[in-house]
Amino acid sequence: MLKILVCVKQIPDVDLVKMDPETGNLVRTGVPTLTNPLDLNALEAAVQTKERFGGEITLITMGPPMAESTLRECLAVGGDEAILITGRPFGGADTLSTSYTIVKAAEMKGSFDLIFCGKETMDGATGQMASQLAERFDASQISCCYSIEDIADGKVRATRTLETGKEIVEATLPCLITVEKDRFYGRLPNLKAYLAAKTAEITTYTENDIDGLDPEKIGVPGSGTIVPRIYPPELPEPGQIINTGSVRTDVGRLLELLAEKDSI
Amino acid sequence: MRKSDYKNMWVYIEHGGVTAAPVGLELCCELRKLCDATGDKLYAVILGELPGAEVDKVKECGIDGILHVSGTGYEYFNTDAYANAFTVLSRKYNPSAIFVGGTINGRDFAPRFAVQLDTGCTSDAMELEYDPETGDIQFIEPAVGGKIMAVITVPVLRPQVGTIRPGTFKYAPTGAKENIEVIREEINFDPAAIRCRHIDFIPDDMDPDMDIANADCVVCVGNGLKDSEHLERYRTLAKLLGGKIGCTRPLYDRGILPYKLQIGQSGVMVKTKLYISFGVSGAVNHTAGVDAEVFVAVDKNPDAQIFNYCDYGIVGDMDEVCDELIEQLRARRS
Amino acid sequence: MASYNKLTPEIAAQLRAVVGERRFFVGEAVDPNYGHDEMPIYGKHLPEAAVDVETTEEVSEIMKICHANRIPVTCRGAGTGLVGGCVPLAGGLVLCTRRMNKILDYDMENLVVRIQPGVLLKDLAADALEHGLMYPPDPGEKTATVGGNISTNAGGMRAVKYGVTRDYVLALTVVLADGRIIELGKSVCKTSSGYSLLHLMVGSEGTLGIITEMTMKLIPKPICDVSCLLPFRDVEACIHSVPKIKLANLDPQSIEFMDADIVTSSAAFTGNPIFPETVNNEEVGASILVTFVGADEEELDQKMITLGKVAEKAGAMDVLVVATSSNKKAAWSARSSFLTAIEADTKLIDEMDVVVPVDKIPDFLIYIRRLGDENGIRIRNFGHAGDGNLHIYCCSNDLEEEEFKRRVKIIMDKAYTKCAELEGQVSGEHSIGHAKMVYLRESVGEDVFRLMSDIKKVFDPEGILNPGKVCDDTLAG
Repeated sequence: MLKILVCVKQIPDVDLVKMDPETGNLVRTGVPTLTNPLDLNALEAAVQTKERFGGEITLITMGPPMAESTLRECLAVGGDEAILITGRPFGGADTLSTSYTIVKAAEMKGSFDLIFCGKETMDGATGQMASQLAERFDASQISCCYSIEDIADGKVRATRTLETGKEIVEATLPCLITVEKDRFYGRLPNLKAYLAAKTAEITTYTENDIDGLDPEKIGVPGSGTIVPRIYPPELPEPGQIINTGSVRTDVGRLLELLAEKDSI
Repeated sequence: MRKSDYKNMWVYIEHGGVTAAPVGLELCCELRKLCDATGDKLYAVILGELPGAEVDKVKECGIDGILHVSGTGYEYFNTDAYANAFTVLSRKYNPSAIFVGGTINGRDFAPRFAVQLDTGCTSDAMELEYDPETGDIQFIEPAVGGKIMAVITVPVLRPQVGTIRPGTFKYAPTGAKENIEVIREEINFDPAAIRCRHIDFIPDDMDPDMDIANADCVVCVGNGLKDSEHLERYRTLAKLLGGKIGCTRPLYDRGILPYKLQIGQSGVMVKTKLYISFGVSGAVNHTAGVDAEVFVAVDKNPDAQIFNYCDYGIVGDMDEVCDELIEQLRARRS
Repeated sequence: MASYNKLTPEIAAQLRAVVGERRFFVGEAVDPNYGHDEMPIYGKHLPEAAVDVETTEEVSEIMKICHANRIPVTCRGAGTGLVGGCVPLAGGLVLCTRRMNKILDYDMENLVVRIQPGVLLKDLAADALEHGLMYPPDPGEKTATVGGNISTNAGGMRAVKYGVTRDYVLALTVVLADGRIIELGKSVCKTSSGYSLLHLMVGSEGTLGIITEMTMKLIPKPICDVSCLLPFRDVEACIHSVPKIKLANLDPQSIEFMDADIVTSSAAFTGNPIFPETVNNEEVGASILVTFVGADEEELDQKMITLGKVAEKAGAMDVLVVATSSNKKAAWSARSSFLTAIEADTKLIDEMDVVVPVDKIPDFLIYIRRLGDENGIRIRNFGHAGDGNLHIYCCSNDLEEEEFKRRVKIIMDKAYTKCAELEGQVSGEHSIGHAKMVYLRESVGEDVFRLMSDIKKVFDPEGILNPGKVCDDTLAG
């Protein structure tokens, strides 16, 4: 039986996050959260793998206590157990320290044969977590997985999507897989699983619960990168706006201008 | 660790054994400028065999030296051997920064050797600046869907690792320097220890409609599009202009158009004569992917950021303006 | 046969004087889209001129001129109709309300909003939500104008719980055919004060007057909502579950029906396969989407549990939950892409929008599919199972248009007869226009049809308002 880990993240709805013009800080309060969409594709790939090859799915996330709702959402779709890593010292982590923390926490549940991740998150969008997790799990990795052909004899045979074509690869277990969005569209949970997930037990780890956790390697101290400042994008001067009040005249004027520039 | 012990900047030259991928050359050209500011030397790192003519092309990009790695394990890209090579090299030479093209494979292995080296890794910077006070590179990139620009630094650790998307910087070779230093290294990685092995490669069938990077004209549809039902007119317009249709990320996310048509930093970078956007708000992530001789923007919101990037703008209902464009173009041509 | 006058340059000048140069279009300058709606199979008819109006007074002035000169006037909103209702059959003037798109004011004490007719449904819906309120009618076409919705008494998905557009119209300002301005209704919820001309105006398709302002009723925004998707092996089992669901005292907001075929098309079209085509490797024949609103999650969970029991008894293959915001968005966009998905892979298309008693839906669907098979026409359908309103599309990709029309007429003639037998109605929410006038006449009978025409004559003795529609057969002769 395969032991499968799926890493998920709760993110703010990026479209609704605003920057406070006074302080220059991001305003996240009151912004609705959602499960990172690509993580749901990863979950679907994991569920399909479990259905085809047998296995047990563990979900893991790091975040504030309310990230629990993301775990419940995923449990409803197809997780067997879930881990929430939460606590102030974990805050402000970059991928270097987050990957460390997640691997340390996951190891509390033993070892895993397969780890599924979204390709990137909508908020941070570094796309680095998967590779860094793979390194720390000491696992092989298949990024941009298009399809999983077979899992047998300790190996995964799969197809990756590259810029100009498909690559067929064979990787040894343990293996970390990130999936393509267009290939593993998430399913709807059924009612029984949805209701069961609402009361399912979730393992919560704080910084005190994880064996051998080095406090220097988590949160801000463990991060390799910092964000010393953010600022609104500098905008170029606006172009020439054509506004005569009539669409017909506007378009006519535009076409004249484009014709002068030999653009049409 | 003393930061001052770490010197020089490296660029990974991605190649498939035949030609060097453009992104490596773009990075060399850009980093030449940064190294001039920091006083570092610029090295190109080549893993495996690359024909001489291609190596010459790399030399044209202003580098001071080449680190050429031979040995087993580099025939096809694989994370294990490639990450290992950089770890071994970096431990030996202590570079200040390592840049890797943000291709699918570049993004696959760079974060991995950053962990091996226990250092900070950034991705998708659009500008690189040097802060002489701290000696750190400022990786400047759009964040939170392009609403803000974030400055990211690696303040303590070294090397500073960055992946940069293809097309972010211009390929503008300044010519080969005299006395380019060539360092040869042999690092053997046991092929049997490669955990994810290349079996085969099947090239995509080229669908010309999906190849928009160098189209003469691009009609770009953004999140203002009501639904897929309203899309056809934009195809018609693109056809009339001898161009192709593209989109912004939200349209790909909404499942309306495929990823290959997504224009912007995390999609395709387009270089085109005429670019017309409809219902595109103008997030930096998107506009960073547009290099157009003439840039036209249509959006109903007069305050949309897109109007800051355009040459000509029309404020109005995108569908109405598109229909009108089609009609008047047809009238002009008949 | 009615006779109308041509729009002479002198009349054009008078009309232009009312609105100014920029909002009056004549001849070539008229938007060619004004010659049709979204069902082009019923033919195109361009007006001689078009005007974009902005105020009640302008409409009144224009009507006075047209009335005096016997110029036909066809009112148009967003042109999203499906029965030719806004198509100017007799030429003349198209009076377009799209610029009258202001939401004028909210009365938060009485939960009403005053708006102009050109406000788009989606804009009213979104704006109401921002005020913590909901505009309950939810017709599928969100880019229709609310004025158009009133003129057709549009229904939509939430009709099961909340009723139709008519139920939310409190008062209207109407310009009569001769230019007089009248007020109908009051901003109150009860009235027992004479004939309800207000309700006569609702669903009159621009044949009795031009609506220039409306007061609409709103309700507090529901606190939370959830949907359940019930896949079934076949259409019969699927539809037979509907009365059982309705009897379970769950007060659903909507009960939508979708055929496997349309789910497949929509998934291919949107790239969004949210509605499953198989459950446990078994093919789904048809599905029902049930939506609940409630005060809190617990209430919704209870409703879903009850629904689950009903569904199991009714033979549902599973009960799937649409609860997260991204799944809701995906489900909603898939559901609203059905018509578009059909249009995208179909060259010739004609539709019917019948309503039958809910328990008669399977009979009707089986019958219409047989008719389709017999006549070589592909039948595709989806609709509002909760109220028996079915959208049925006759589609073909290989027939010539004339042959297609001939065959579709055979199907329609028989289908409307069947619909009448089953005690159904010709149109649930798309209305009559000119496309369905003959079927309306057959369905309601000669006496009722005459009464309708006589009422029309009281409002519009010259017959200049939207000629040839609903019950005006004068053009047909």
